[in-house]
Amino acid sequence: MNPLDWWLLLAILLFCIGAFGVLSRRNIIVVVMSLELMLNAVNIALVATANFRGGSPGAGTLFSLFIIVLAAAEVTVGLAIVLANYRNRRTVQTDTFDDLKG
Amino acid sequence: MPGGDFHPWLFVIVAAWVLVCALGVVAFKKIMYSAVSMVFCFLGVAFAYALLYAPLVAVVQLLVYVGAISIVIIFAIMLTEVQDGGYELFFNRQTLAAAIVALVGAAVLAIVALSADIGEVSEKALTPGLRPLAALLFDRYVFPFELVSLVLVAAMVGAIVLARRQEERR
Amino acid sequence: MEGTAFMKTAVALIPLLPLLGFIVTLVLGKRFFGTKAHLLPVALVTVSAALSVYAFSWAFTHQHETFEWNAFTWVAAGRFTVEWGFQVDTLTGIMLLVVGIIGMLVHYYSIGYMHGDEGYYRFFAYLNLFMFAMFVLILANNYLLLFLGWEGVGLCSYLLISFWFRKKSASQAGKKAFLVNRVGDFGFTLGMFLIFTATGTLQFSGVFAHADEGLIAAGTMTWICVLLFTGAVGKSAQFPLHVWLPDAMEGPTPVSALIHAATMVNAGVYMVARSYPLFINSDGAMMLVMVVGTFTAIYAAYIAITQNDIKKVIAYSTISSLGFMFMALGAGAWVAGIFYLFAHGFFKGLLFLCSGSVIHAMGGEQDMRKMGGLRKKIPLTFWTMLVGALAMVGMVPFAGFWAKDEIVGGTFVRGYYVVWAVALVTVLLTAIYMGRLIFMTFWGENRSDAEVQAHIHESPPVMTVPLVLLAIPAALLGLVVGLPPESGWIHSFLEPVFFDVESEPFEWAGEGGLLMLVSLAVVIVGILIAHRLWVRDVEIPGRLAARFPATYAASYNKMYMDAIYEVVPIRSTINFAGWLWSFFDVKVIDGAVNGVAWLGGWAGDRLRPIQTGRVQNYTLYVFGGMVVLVVVLAWVWVS
Repeated sequence: MNPLDWWLLLAILLFCIGAFGVLSRRNIIVVVMSLELMLNAVNIALVATANFRGGSPGAGTLFSLFIIVLAAAEVTVGLAIVLANYRNRRTVQTDTFDDLKG
Repeated sequence: MPGGDFHPWLFVIVAAWVLVCALGVVAFKKIMYSAVSMVFCFLGVAFAYALLYAPLVAVVQLLVYVGAISIVIIFAIMLTEVQDGGYELFFNRQTLAAAIVALVGAAVLAIVALSADIGEVSEKALTPGLRPLAALLFDRYVFPFELVSLVLVAAMVGAIVLARRQEERR
Repeated sequence: MEGTAFMKTAVALIPLLPLLGFIVTLVLGKRFFGTKAHLLPVALVTVSAALSVYAFSWAFTHQHETFEWNAFTWVAAGRFTVEWGFQVDTLTGIMLLVVGIIGMLVHYYSIGYMHGDEGYYRFFAYLNLFMFAMFVLILANNYLLLFLGWEGVGLCSYLLISFWFRKKSASQAGKKAFLVNRVGDFGFTLGMFLIFTATGTLQFSGVFAHADEGLIAAGTMTWICVLLFTGAVGKSAQFPLHVWLPDAMEGPTPVSALIHAATMVNAGVYMVARSYPLFINSDGAMMLVMVVGTFTAIYAAYIAITQNDIKKVIAYSTISSLGFMFMALGAGAWVAGIFYLFAHGFFKGLLFLCSGSVIHAMGGEQDMRKMGGLRKKIPLTFWTMLVGALAMVGMVPFAGFWAKDEIVGGTFVRGYYVVWAVALVTVLLTAIYMGRLIFMTFWGENRSDAEVQAHIHESPPVMTVPLVLLAIPAALLGLVVGLPPESGWIHSFLEPVFFDVESEPFEWAGEGGLLMLVSLAVVIVGILIAHRLWVRDVEIPGRLAARFPATYAASYNKMYMDAIYEVVPIRSTINFAGWLWSFFDVKVIDGAVNGVAWLGGWAGDRLRPIQTGRVQNYTLYVFGGMVVLVVVLAWVWVS
C-alpha cells in the first residue's frame, strides 16, 4: 500500500458518501451539497495522483482548479433554478418534482 | 514547495475530519447543520491539498468553496424555508437501496483502485510550484482558461435571469 | 419445302388474327365502331377460316407428315421447358375445318341475331377471343399450350354465357360453368404433372415416344389417362360434370351454337383423341371412358324428353352426343368418334342456329309449349332445322346416320353388347325427343298469343344464309367422307394419327349391314312414336306423365343432380367456411393480433411505475447500473 492508495481510498469513500446523499435526501439543497462533496472527492483523487505520479507537467493540478471553478458556476445556476422552482411551488422536496411522471 | 513526503498521522487526522464532516452533511436532519458540516468538510479538504503539496489548489479551495459556494448555499437555505418534520421526511423511499448501491460501489471502486497497476509511484511529491503552474495556465492552457471565464459569465447571467422576480404583465 | 414458310405464317396467323380482333374491338369498339363493331372481327375470322382451310388442304396433301413448328420458347425453367409450338396433322386438319368454318358462320349469324344489343362490340370481342383460344388449343403441340387454349375457351365460355350479366340467372350460369370446369381442369393439371414426372416433357412427340417405347409404367399410364379424362369430363360436359351445359343456355344462341355445340365441348374429345398413344396402353382408362360416355348418353337423352325449353332440349342432346363420342373412343372406334365429331359440329351448330332463328321469329319465346305451326310461317328455318334434326337422330342418308351407325355398330362388333343395347335405347330416345321438338315447334296450331303471332317472320339473310350453308354438310358429309363404312375416306385420312387401330371390315350383306338396319329401324320407330304423341294424339304425353309421376319428375328435374350438388359439396363447403370464419378467423387469428396489441398495452402498464418523474430515482438507476457494469467488467477482466 503506497501513499497514493490511501489518498485514493479517501477520495472513494468521500465520493460514495456524497453519492448516498444525492440519492437519498429529500431536500434538494442537501442534494446539491452532497453533489459538491462528490466533486471534491474527485478533486482529491486528481491532485493526489498528480502529486505522486506526475505525468504531464501540472495538468492534474490545473484540471482540479478548473473543476473548482466550474463547480462554483454550477452551484450558482443550480440554486437559481431551485429558487425559481421554490417561488412557484413553495417546496424543496424532491419527491414533489414529478411532473414527468408516467 | 517541492519535496516532501508522506506523513501518516497527519493524513489520518485530515481523512477522519473530512469523512466525519461528510457524514454530517448527509445525515443531519436540520439543513443548517448540514451546511455547517459542509463548510468544515471543505476546510478539511483544503488541508488535504496542503498535505499534497498543492498550495495553490488549497487556497483556491478556501476562496471559492468555503468563501463563495458555502455562502451561496446558505443563502439558498435561508430563502427556502423548510418546515421541520419527522425523521421520515428527510430521507426518501429509496434510502436503503441508495445505501447498498453506495457501499457496493465503494467496495468495487476500492478493489479496482487498489489492485490496479498504477505504475511507478514516487515517494516524493511531484506537484509543480506556483510559478511553473502560472506559466502553464497562461501559456498552454490559456484557451480553456478563457472558456471558463465565458462559462462564468454565462452562469452569472443565467442565474440572474432565473432567479429574478417575475414582473406583473399588463 | 417451299410451302413451309407460308405454312408457318398461315398457322401463326390463324390464332393471331382473332386475338388482334379481340384487343382492338374491346378497346376501341364502343367509341369508334359502335354498331359497326362487327366489321373487324368478322373480317379477321373469315381470313382465319380461309387459312384454316388452307392448313387442312396442306394436311390433305401431306397425310403422312406432321407440320411442326416451335415458334419460341415459352417456359424455360431448368429441366422444365415448354415451347410455344404448333403442329398440323390430319386430326388437326379436321378440327380446323370444324372450328374455322362454323366459327366464321356463327360470326355472320351474330350480326343479325345480336343487332341492337347494347353490348354489341363486347360480344364480337369475346367471340374473337374465343376463336383465338380454340385455335391455340387445336394447334398446340404440347399439353401446356393445349391447356392454355383449354383455359382460354373456358374463360370465354364464362364471359359469353354471362354476357347479359345484369340478368341474375345468366351470371350464375357463367359462374357455374367456370367452377364445374375448374374441377375437371384440376384433374387435367394433375395429369400433366404426372406426365412430366413420368416422361420429363409435355411435348406430344416426346410423350408419345415414351409411351410407344413402353417407358411408362402401366399404373402410371392409367392414372395419367384417367386424370386427363377428368378434364375432358368437365370440358365436354359428361356425367357428373355436365350440370353446367344446360344452364349455359342463358347465353345468346350464337354462343350456344359455337361454344356448346361445335367447338369448345369438342375440346375434351379432341384431347382424348390426341392422347391416343397414351390411352391405347391402358385398357382400364378406355373402359372408363366408354362407360362414362355411354351412361351420359342415355342419361341426357332421358332428361331431354321432358324439357320444354327448345334450347335446353338441344343442350341435353349435345351432352348425349358427346357421350356417344366418348363411347366410341373408349370402345376403340377412334375414327368413328372423330367422324361423329366432325358431323356433329355441323348439324348441332345448325340446330342451335335454327333454334335461334325460331326464337327470333317468336319474339324471344323459348318455351315450346307456346310454339306450333311455324312450318308455313318460317319455311327456310323449318327446312334447315329439319335437315339438322334428321342428321341428329341418324336418319339415312344424312351425316349423322353414317357416323352414329359406325359407333353403335362398332360397339357390337367389338363385343360390348351391353353398351350396344344401351346405345340403341339412347338412339330411340334421341329420335323421340328430337321428333317431339320438331313436331311441337312446327306442326299443329300456334299456341302463343295474337300479338306474338302477328310478328312471326323469317330471319334476315345474314342469319338464314349460314343456316343453309351448314345444312349442306349436315346432309351430305356422311356420304362424302364416310362411305363405305369403316373404310371411307375419313378412315384413311385419320389413319396416320390412329395407327394400330383395328378396323373391323364391314360387309353390306353381313353383320355390319344388319346392325345398320337395326339402328335405322329404331330411329324410324322413335320418329313414329313422336309423331303419335305430339301430332296425332296430343293428350297422351299428359296422361303418361300422370301415370308415371316419379319417372316423369326424375326426367323433368334433371335427375336432381343440381340438388345433390347443392347439398353435398356446396352446402358443406359454405358451412365449413362459416365455421372457419366464426371460430378460426375471429377467435384465433384476430385473437392473436389483438393479443399482441393487448400485450403491448399490458407490458406498458407494468413498466409505467419505473417512470416516476423523480430525478433521484433515475440517478439511482444510473449509479446502480454503473456499479453493476463495473462489477461485470472487473469479473471479466479478472478471469
